Amino acid sequence: MLTLPPFTYHAPATVSEAVALLAEHRGDVKLLAGGTDLLPNMKHRLFTPAHLVGLRSVRGLAEIAEKDGAVRLGPMVSIARLARDPLVEQRLPSLQAAAQAIAGPQLRQMGTLGGNLCLDTRCVFYNQTAFWRLALGYCLKKDGTVCHVVKAGKRCVAAASNDTAPALLTLGARIRVAGPLGTRDVALADFYFADGVRNLGLQEDEVLTGIEVPSPEAGQRSGFQKLRVREAVDYPSLSVAVSSALDAGGNARWVRVAVSALGARPHLVGSLESLTGSKLTSAAVAEIGRIAHRQCHPLTNINIDPAWRRDLIPVLVKRAFETCRLARAS
Amino acid sequence: MKGHAVVGRRLRKLDGLKKATGEAKYADDLELPRMLHCKLLRSPHAHARIRRIDFTRCRAHPGVVEVLEGAELPARYGVIPWTPDEQALAADKARFVGDEVAAVAALDELAAEEALALIDVEWEVLPALVEPEQALAAGSPQIHEGKKHGNVSKHVGLSFGDVDAGFAASASVAEEDFFYAGSTHAAIEPHCALAQYDAEGNLTLWSSTQIPHYVHRELSRVLGLPETRVRVIQPFLGGAFGGKSDPFALEFVVAKLAMKTGRPVKCLLTREEVFFAHRGRHPMKMRFKVGLAKDGRIEAVDSKILIDGGAYSSFGLVTAYYSGQLLTGPYTFGSYRFDSTRVFTNKPPCGPKRGHGSVQPRFAFEVALDMAAEKLGLDPIEVRRRNFVGENVLTVNGQTITSNGFLQCLDAVEAASRWKERKGKLPYGRGLGVAGSMYISGTAYPLYPNELPQSGIQVKLDRSGKVTIFSGGSDIGQGLNSLPAYLIAEEIGCDPRDCHVVVSDTDLTPVDLGAYSSRGTYMIGAACLEAGQRLWAMLSEAVGAKWGCPGAAVEGALGTIRGPADGQQMSFREAVQLAEAKFGTLGATGSYRTQKLGGDYRGGTIGASPAYSFTAHVVEVRVDVETGVWKVERVWAAHDCGKALNPTLVEGQIEGSVYMGFGEAAMEEMTYLPSGLHAGPSLLDYRIPTSLDTPDIEATIVEPIDPGGPHGAKEAGEGPLHPVIPAIANALYDAVGVRLTALPFHPAKVLAALRAKAKHDGLAESAERGAC
Amino acid sequence: MPAGRPPKTVLTLKVNGDSVELAVEPRTTLLEALRYTLRLTGSKQGCDKGDCGACTVLIDGTPTLACLTLAVECQGRAVTTIEGLARGPHVHPVQDAFDLCGALQCGFCQPGMMLSAAALLEANARPTRLQIREALSGNLCRCTGYKQIFDAVEVASGQREVAERDPRPTTGGES
Ligand SMILES: Cc1cc2nc3c(=O)[nH]c(=O)nc-3n(C[C@H](O)[C@H](O)[C@H](O)COP(=O)(O)OP(=O)(O)OC[C@H]3O[C@@H](n4cnc5c(N)ncnc54)[C@H](O)[C@@H]3O)c2cc1C
Ligand code: SF4
Ligand code: FES
Ligand code: FES
Repeated sequence: MLTLPPFTYHAPATVSEAVALLAEHRGDVKLLAGGTDLLPNMKHRLFTPAHLVGLRSVRGLAEIAEKDGAVRLGPMVSIARLARDPLVEQRLPSLQAAAQAIAGPQLRQMGTLGGNLCLDTRCVFYNQTAFWRLALGYCLKKDGTVCHVVKAGKRCVAAASNDTAPALLTLGARIRVAGPLGTRDVALADFYFADGVRNLGLQEDEVLTGIEVPSPEAGQRSGFQKLRVREAVDYPSLSVAVSSALDAGGNARWVRVAVSALGARPHLVGSLESLTGSKLTSAAVAEIGRIAHRQCHPLTNINIDPAWRRDLIPVLVKRAFETCRLARAS
Repeated sequence: MKGHAVVGRRLRKLDGLKKATGEAKYADDLELPRMLHCKLLRSPHAHARIRRIDFTRCRAHPGVVEVLEGAELPARYGVIPWTPDEQALAADKARFVGDEVAAVAALDELAAEEALALIDVEWEVLPALVEPEQALAAGSPQIHEGKKHGNVSKHVGLSFGDVDAGFAASASVAEEDFFYAGSTHAAIEPHCALAQYDAEGNLTLWSSTQIPHYVHRELSRVLGLPETRVRVIQPFLGGAFGGKSDPFALEFVVAKLAMKTGRPVKCLLTREEVFFAHRGRHPMKMRFKVGLAKDGRIEAVDSKILIDGGAYSSFGLVTAYYSGQLLTGPYTFGSYRFDSTRVFTNKPPCGPKRGHGSVQPRFAFEVALDMAAEKLGLDPIEVRRRNFVGENVLTVNGQTITSNGFLQCLDAVEAASRWKERKGKLPYGRGLGVAGSMYISGTAYPLYPNELPQSGIQVKLDRSGKVTIFSGGSDIGQGLNSLPAYLIAEEIGCDPRDCHVVVSDTDLTPVDLGAYSSRGTYMIGAACLEAGQRLWAMLSEAVGAKWGCPGAAVEGALGTIRGPADGQQMSFREAVQLAEAKFGTLGATGSYRTQKLGGDYRGGTIGASPAYSFTAHVVEVRVDVETGVWKVERVWAAHDCGKALNPTLVEGQIEGSVYMGFGEAAMEEMTYLPSGLHAGPSLLDYRIPTSLDTPDIEATIVEPIDPGGPHGAKEAGEGPLHPVIPAIANALYDAVGVRLTALPFHPAKVLAALRAKAKHDGLAESAERGAC
Repeated sequence: MPAGRPPKTVLTLKVNGDSVELAVEPRTTLLEALRYTLRLTGSKQGCDKGDCGACTVLIDGTPTLACLTLAVECQGRAVTTIEGLARGPHVHPVQDAFDLCGALQCGFCQPGMMLSAAALLEANARPTRLQIREALSGNLCRCTGYKQIFDAVEVASGQREVAERDPRPTTGGES
């Protein structure tokens, strides 16, 4: 078997208890939600915390509700529930599509939205056993000094591989974080950094306690596309989420596109302002694809041909717009 | 001749419900009191000399009970007795990343794992030879010092007929380079072995092996114990596909540790370690040349093959032969030449994977055949039909073909796929492709020369009517635990459900050589018939005596024995009691003996089989030309397995084979970093198709009765894998006009090929336009 | 267990209907607890990190990977393993159909596969072929090519007949 290293397990009942435990064991503690990312990583000895704080018994972290102009999602909502929840289906179609494309059925039941948003970045040189990484000579992200993807690189470029993140980015989501000093809200766009070692704006003693997505405007639609080798189980080789709001005349009030699974953070495509006020014709969508293509440079951080992944950005952008679904009134 | 009561019926397996309820015990399900857990220390270097191993820190770990190093098990072994080049734990040097160098037995797995990190090994790192070309380059160090030919593991060059004249006479010649990527078995059960050494000096090994007999022999030799003191038991096996048909380090190590500690010791490989154990499909670089006469007859075939063997020999000697010897059907070759070289490299050793040695050249040949036929404007099915080798013939390399249902296979897939109406008429992006193949149904000869039977069966008849059958056959999922019951029940008229089959235990069951070369049904089946007929002779004579009729007039089926007179019948149990009263305690044996077969030249016996199976597939693909992503819409697979003893089990073998070949075509590849480290030794990075990826498969069984097989049966487990890969390649060509010659056909490659073609076509078009 | 590790916790689980108490280290996975502590070895391990589905069990009726579930997090929950799928002396219709259809080749993936299939039928009595494919897509099988598995789920849900129904005296679960 792949053994887990020894640790002490804690099951707090409230967020503040959880935060207190995290603060108490700072430097040697991890939060455990569904465990589908953390436990394989611990089996690989990427993390060997002496303490695990389980969120399973913390109450009130699994809501799905729309109030005060926002859809509120608890971090402990399972991916499977996102994939079938009627409110998510009506209001946030791209998030639902993303959830449906995550891993396989059992993992969707076990994995949570919070865990997905806080997923560790992934790389062929990193998501390996302790023996394998020893044989490699380790890498910058863990125990070593060089990056094997960008040899002279000083920054880790392991891939952000969480499928809900690009969808939520294009939906303008904000997250709420609780720490020893209270809670703070952050735009999801500001939550991720381009550093694969620590790509999250989250302190070790903080807990992600809620996700808030502005209620869709009239005429808002969203779509999601994922490229994977197999039709189940596989992490994304490339994922694209799009969202836009059209006015009564069919002109775009805004357009957002996110591309992920390429570098250390999901990339919110810039320079799309020029599309404001125009129709999203196929020529316009092709132009968006070209803009996204110019801004993204996949690397050999996963074992799928990077040139091909880049080539497919415009195709996935086009298909994401084609499969966009209108957010319906709740 | 009476009809069949059991044979040909869709009966359950004898052990199906054991598997369905979780009752079936696989190796890691076994546990013994005081059992220790063993972990193996592996080399982090692809090629390195071991200067010193120091266990001081390791022994100090509170959980450690015993350690082991290579010097304690010095004997070299290998599944082929001519090439023993493996050692349970490397004593002098490690030859790939993951090669075993030391072992620890501890109180639990975690302790063993922690203790491994406390073993200090001093290494002298040597240059890693990762690609076969590197290994062949002048001045490269030898991976196995003292071998005669540098890093060549085996070279075979054979020629039949005048190949050059054949090409000269050809109207169409196709010549192309092909690459078949290495792939692995990925059985879902990881290897596991448990050993116990008792106070009387008997060693028992439970192991997830598909060759208990060879493990028995090698264990005894390496451990220095008499064979009578060694017992090998194969519990339920969670898939093998050739991946468990070598003796493995863990088997020797747990045995030795059990002897050293006097406690049972278990070792369970992690999934990553299974990738290091490997023995999977060899990567092959192949140059193929196929020449056709104007009417499509195959005049000449020539191949040059470079085989990447990995660090040890394993079955490599056979692989080198099979890469050439098994290609000479189902088509007649006017002349044939092959030149195959297996080379050692510093990677996990390759070995036999389902369709051993012949899947790779079959891919190259079937694509090259299409290329050559296209130039002549011949339909791919038609060209295959025209070259049909026939029944009861000798192939160009001297193999004897008995029954041959290949034409019926072609007819079946042609009709089922509506080939005639649809081929060439599908819209751009969709296509049909065909391929055929042949495979052995057992090898004529055992791996070590001897005059003994290759399979044996013993049967005990109890006066209760219970039939106990002792079979050494290795069930790896194909149904070999049930086959003896079906066949014995057919012969002696009992109900197969009243049979208890005792299997794969070298103390209890007669020798069977193991689950390889698709030999089980044919050879164990033959042994069953012999034993069953001997028993029936006694039963029918005793019953005949009672009824006053000749034994030949007595018939039995499914537990009821009938006489010639109206209403004359008795239960099987009564018949047994009559026979027991007459002859004493009842039992019988049967065996399958080696036949002299094969061409009269060096190597002519390798690839010689008492019978051959034949297969044809048609595949329909759909290509997404924007992304290169392709899907197999459907596979029509027709397989000649002779008489299907249980059609449900045969269909399972056909479907499983198609699936596995599809995986190799679509996504599977053993990839390595330049250092020789496996790039993704997990079931996440080495992707095998899921239930959403697997194609729709329509299996058809073709049943020409083979004169030698039990009730006319031949193999079904390996043959049907071959054609799916070239059929996919041919279908992709039909769909989008690009020839894919390197496996696997990643969408990235398909898209690149499409773009290259568009560019080329565009250039050609503009050149044309420029010209006018 | 060698000394020096965090102490064991005593848990109560409902396993296949029985209330059982067991002591585990916090790091013990549910799969390890089932296989090596409770000796319910029907749940299999093929990767131990979420890639294969062989370890699938039902927790409160939901297919879950036991290799990525901490035993301590199962306190008070109901776990069904393959050993508990049969109803008394009668095998579950899924088990019977898998056997009839030849889906049990090596059988190693099948405890997990059958539990996923049983959970599917619990939620959807007559699933389509595509729904079957989707529900089983987290359970890798290397032997069958999945076809006989899909067929078996259709047989278990009464949507398909087998060519020949070999009876078994013990299979009261015949559907
Ligand atoms: C075989 C396999 C395939 C997969 N395929 C995909 C895929 O295709 N797409 C995809 O997106 N994911 C995939 N995953 C990853 C994973 O299953 C999902 O991302 C899942 O949603 C992670 O959630 P979790 O609750 O299991 O996370 P956990 O493992 O519990 O946690 C992950 C990380 O987030 C932290 N964390 C969790 N919750 C919080 C919180 N509330 N506050 C602060 N930090 C928190 C944890 O400390 C940990 O560092 C796959 C996993 C496996 C094993
Ligand atoms: S991108 Fe570089 S530093 Fe980051 S995990 Fe991969 S190899 Fe390590
Ligand atoms: S053993 Fe749990 S998913 Fe493979
Ligand atoms: S039956 Fe062997 S892996 Fe599924």
